[in-house]
Amino acid sequence: MDAVILSLAALVGLYMAANIGSNDLANAMGTSVGSCAITIKQAVIISIVANALGAVLAGGYVTGTISKGIIDPSLLANNPNILMIGMFASLLAAGLWVNLATYFALPVSTSQAIVGAIVGFGVLSVGAGAVAWNKIIIIVVSWITSPAVGALISGGMYSFIDRKMMSTKDPLAASQRYAPVMVFAVFLVLILSFIFKGLKNLHLNAGFVQTILLAIPISAIAGALGLWWIRRQARPECKLGPGQENFTPLDRLFAQLQVLTACYVAFAHGANDVANAVGPLAAIFSVVQTKAVALKVEVPFWMLLGGGMAVGGGLLLFGTRVMETIGKNITELTPMRGFCAQFGAATTILVCSRMGLPISTTHVLVGSVVGVGIMRGMGTLDLRILKNIALSWVVTLPFTVVLSMILYKLFIYFLL
Amino acid sequence: MRLSLTSLFHESPFENLQKHADMVRECAYLFKQAALKHLGGECEKFEEITDQVARLESKADGVKRNIRNHLPRGILMPVDKFQFLDYLREQDKVLDEVEEALFWLSFRPMGIPREVAADFGDLVEAVTPPIENLSDLVGMATVFFKNRTERQRTRMKSLIRDIRQHEKEADVLERELKLKIFHEIEDALAVFHLVRLVEIVGHIADHAENASDRMRAMIAR
Repeated sequence: MDAVILSLAALVGLYMAANIGSNDLANAMGTSVGSCAITIKQAVIISIVANALGAVLAGGYVTGTISKGIIDPSLLANNPNILMIGMFASLLAAGLWVNLATYFALPVSTSQAIVGAIVGFGVLSVGAGAVAWNKIIIIVVSWITSPAVGALISGGMYSFIDRKMMSTKDPLAASQRYAPVMVFAVFLVLILSFIFKGLKNLHLNAGFVQTILLAIPISAIAGALGLWWIRRQARPECKLGPGQENFTPLDRLFAQLQVLTACYVAFAHGANDVANAVGPLAAIFSVVQTKAVALKVEVPFWMLLGGGMAVGGGLLLFGTRVMETIGKNITELTPMRGFCAQFGAATTILVCSRMGLPISTTHVLVGSVVGVGIMRGMGTLDLRILKNIALSWVVTLPFTVVLSMILYKLFIYFLL
Repeated sequence: MRLSLTSLFHESPFENLQKHADMVRECAYLFKQAALKHLGGECEKFEEITDQVARLESKADGVKRNIRNHLPRGILMPVDKFQFLDYLREQDKVLDEVEEALFWLSFRPMGIPREVAADFGDLVEAVTPPIENLSDLVGMATVFFKNRTERQRTRMKSLIRDIRQHEKEADVLERELKLKIFHEIEDALAVFHLVRLVEIVGHIADHAENASDRMRAMIAR
């Protein structure tokens, strides 16, 4: 029986992970493919590696929040099977919702889907009073804060580049003046993100000041290298990638910076969202193995790695065709615009994570793209779609709550 | 399966605007040919070209409708939507005037009076460059609204100045031709026909200039 439960749980976990990869990760890498900064093959490789690294190095932290944050597992100490079935129902409910949203092309948060699903089974198993409703309020607030901060940063970045570089008489000369600043900013955000968020599992315990003192000189060196690099790119013999025939040296700079930020977004995605698939799975494995409810579920390394790979696999299997469409359809997504959107998203993920706000990479990315659009930076944006997107964000919680309740009741009825 | 983020991006109207501008350029070429055939007394060839222009104008109208019908509320563009539609209207009016000029030419098959034929030919020559320039202007705008470089903007401003200059020259020719018509033609019907025709031909350059002015407003910083 245990083997059957474990196999089923692993299958549903894989299903959820593949859904995450095919929608979320394809979104995260889509802007880079659309602007020809990277090829689809490169996007898939970067996604799989960065995503798996994010899951392994930073995933555990989030997993703890998922299993403990919404309901207190100790309330189910007398009945571990309830926790197991509840987690199974939650995983399936969230997976179905993400699949449905993907089908209707709606960018929903997988984290919020799993939170909603856990709330659903929590209300039925331990009662509504035991659910941490304050976390739900924070999630509701994040529907506005995540995209708004993303829009603000990416729009600001676009405006800065437009005024200081593109609108000058000699953009290449201006880029040599500002490229080091931009490379510095990108590296600073990435390094701070890796230390504060990404490398949490390595328990470096570096303080804020030490981290800043470490990040600034490294970013300054990167900035100096950026100046050397942009001068080199200005030479006519510079080698170009596929689809980059019409790229100016400035486009090439933004394309490279975009690759860096795309790597980070994939990493952050692995850190945040892989846990959505493996967190409940880890709880089920723990119950099956120990026949008890653990207060803290340690997610094994192999499970995080497997989850990261499965998300990458989802992108490989279902996301490549989608990204191909982006490359052909979003012809107006230039490296500069793509970079602004990605940089805005990466910085928002860092800032909001530091502030302890739950954020969804997808929500932030949507906000960032719209932010560049509002500054008249995007080709043509259909803001009417935002209404559907906002609706899908709001619907995610109630839908997964109800679906998880139904599935939980069904499983209880048939299995217990 | 569709990707959620891509649904935010809408098809760019600039591709169709370029298509429309290319049709306008083709019409300018045909207009010149038709006028020359008319002056040369080749009526059949003239009618053939007039039909060709009418077909092209109808096709261009379809492109214009397609652009307008696919820019509903809620579409965010790199330029003000109303300025863009204003530009399109002026570009389309160029075509309308070309078609109208050819109609007016066809109303009097006996041709343009010898006294003013050469000057009329000069006027036709003078109004075609601004129309041809519009197509280049749209091409430049497509690139400019992608990367917004000052260099591209400067090139556009220079082309807009050229169009304005061409329009001024056409205006001068138009006035001189009108003066000549009143002085040298005595038949009242011919005067009315010629003055109206010259005004319509002059309007071609006027609308090309108006279109370029709208573009100037779109690229204003």
